[in-house]
Amino acid sequence: MAGLMVTNQRAVQVRGLTQRFGRTEVLRGVDLEIGNGVFGLLGPNGAGKTTLLRTLATVIQPAGGTVRLLGRDPGNDTERRQLRRRLGYLPQALGYYPGFTVSEFVEYFALLKEVPAREVRLAVARAIERVGLEDRAKSKLKTLSGGMLRRVGIAQAIVNEPDLLLLDEPTAGLDPEQRVGFRAMLREIGTHGTVVVSTHLIEDVAVACAEVGLMANGRIVFRGTPCQLTARGTEFNLGDSDLERGYGAVLAGARA
Amino acid sequence: MPDPRDHPDDPRHIAGCMDCQTRANLTGLDLDLDRVWTGVMATVGAREPGRLERMAARLLGSPGLARALTATPSLAFSWVLASLAVLTIGVAATHGSEVGTPWVALLAPCLAGVGIAYSYGPGIDPAFELSQTMAIPDRMVLLVRVLAVFGLNALLGIGATLFTPVAAGVTWTWLVPMAMVSALALAAATVAGSANVGVAAALAGWALVVLGTKAETGDVTAAVGTNLAPAYLLATVVFGAVALAASNGQRSQGGSTRWQA
Repeated sequence: MAGLMVTNQRAVQVRGLTQRFGRTEVLRGVDLEIGNGVFGLLGPNGAGKTTLLRTLATVIQPAGGTVRLLGRDPGNDTERRQLRRRLGYLPQALGYYPGFTVSEFVEYFALLKEVPAREVRLAVARAIERVGLEDRAKSKLKTLSGGMLRRVGIAQAIVNEPDLLLLDEPTAGLDPEQRVGFRAMLREIGTHGTVVVSTHLIEDVAVACAEVGLMANGRIVFRGTPCQLTARGTEFNLGDSDLERGYGAVLAGARA
Repeated sequence: MPDPRDHPDDPRHIAGCMDCQTRANLTGLDLDLDRVWTGVMATVGAREPGRLERMAARLLGSPGLARALTATPSLAFSWVLASLAVLTIGVAATHGSEVGTPWVALLAPCLAGVGIAYSYGPGIDPAFELSQTMAIPDRMVLLVRVLAVFGLNALLGIGATLFTPVAAGVTWTWLVPMAMVSALALAAATVAGSANVGVAAALAGWALVVLGTKAETGDVTAAVGTNLAPAYLLATVVFGAVALAASNGQRSQGGSTRWQA
C-alpha cells in the first residue's frame, strides 16, 4: 500500500480556521502547519481540541479559514475522497456495532476506506496485531472491555496505513503497559507520516511527541517541543512534573 | 526444540543429531516470523464474504459498498423474518375478514417506510461519526441501502399479495403509496437527523392517509386505489427532493456544518 508522497508540503496546513456552535465561537483563527512526526495537542476541557480534530478529520466544515490536508482541498468532493483514503481517525467517543467481531469491525472500515480488496485481509491482521488484540480477533465487540474497545478503534484508524492519523484521547482506558506499547507505535508511524494526538495525559506527550501545541479558548497559545514547554514552568506553577508546571504556566499566561 | 545447552556445537555431534541439524537449517533461513504469523492470522481470521455480498460487490463495483449494504440493519435476517411475519399475519387477516380487507396492501408501505428510516445513519448508526470520514460517501451508502430495502419490501409484498386473491384489484397499486411512505420516511429522517423521526413520520403519515380516505369514502381500500396514484407520485417526488436538499451541500448538526460525505 503506497502512501502519498508528501515531500515538500506539510500534511496539515490550516490558516485562520474558525468554527462555531450556534453563536459560540469554538475555534478562533487557528493557524497550524504540521509535517511528519507526532504532534501532541494539549489543553483544558472546552479548549477546542476535539473540534479541531473533527475539522481535520473532515467530519465538519470550517466556518471560516482555509484547510489543506495532504496537499488536498477537503472542500473539493474528489480531493476529499482521495484524502480520506489516506486518513485515519479515532473519535473521542467511539461508536461500535456490538454484534461485529474485532476483525469484522476493522475490516468494515478498511473496505469503506477503499483499501484494495486483495490487501484487506493482511491489513486487518496487521492492524489487529499492532494493537495487541490478535487473540480477540474473533470476539464480539460487546464482550470487550473499554480499553480493548479503544484499541479496536485505534486498529480501524491505522488499518489503511494512513499518512495523516488523528487520534482523540487514544489512551483513555489503556493500562500503563498498553500505553507504553501505544507510544512506541505512534513514534513508528510518525517516522513516515503525520500523527496528531489530542490528550489530557502529559506523560504521553512527553514521551511520544516531537512537538506539542497547547490550546486555550479556541486558540493555539503555545507551540514547541516538550522541552520548551517544560522551560516555561516555574516552581510557583501548579503541577507534579516539570512539564505540568510548564503547561500550567502557559495556560495561566493565556488566561491573564 | 531441545535446549541448545545440552547439544554442543561440535560438528561431529551435529552430524548425528537431527534436532541440531533442524535448528541449524532454521537459523540459516532469512525468515521474518512475525510477518509469517501475521499472514497466518490474516488467513485464519478472515471473514469470507457471503454469496450475496460477492454479487453485490460485482454489481456495485465496490466491495466497501457491498459490505455496507449487507450491514444494513433493515436487511438483516431477523428484520426480514419479522417483515415476513407481519405480512403473513396480513394475509391471514385478509382471509379471515368478511369483506377481504387487503391488509397486506395496507401494511406493506409501513414496513418499507420503517425499513428505509432505519437505513439512515444519525441516531441509529453508532459509528456514524466514523462513517463521515470514510472514502465511500455516506450518501452513496444511503442510496444503495434505500434502493435495496425498497426492492426487498416490494418483493415481499408482491409475494404476500399472491396469497390474497380477493385483493387482486390492489395487487400492484400499493407499490405507489409504498414509494411515497418510503420517501416521507427518508425526508423526515434526513431533515431531523434521526431515524426514529423518520419511522414516526412514515407510520403517522400513512395512518392519516388510510383513515382519512376511509372516513371520506367508507372504503378502507381507497387509500390504495388507483385514483390516488398521481397524488402519491407527486408527494414522492416532493419528499425525495426534500431528502436530497436536506442531505445536499451543507448539513447543519449541532451548530456546525458537516462536509457532504
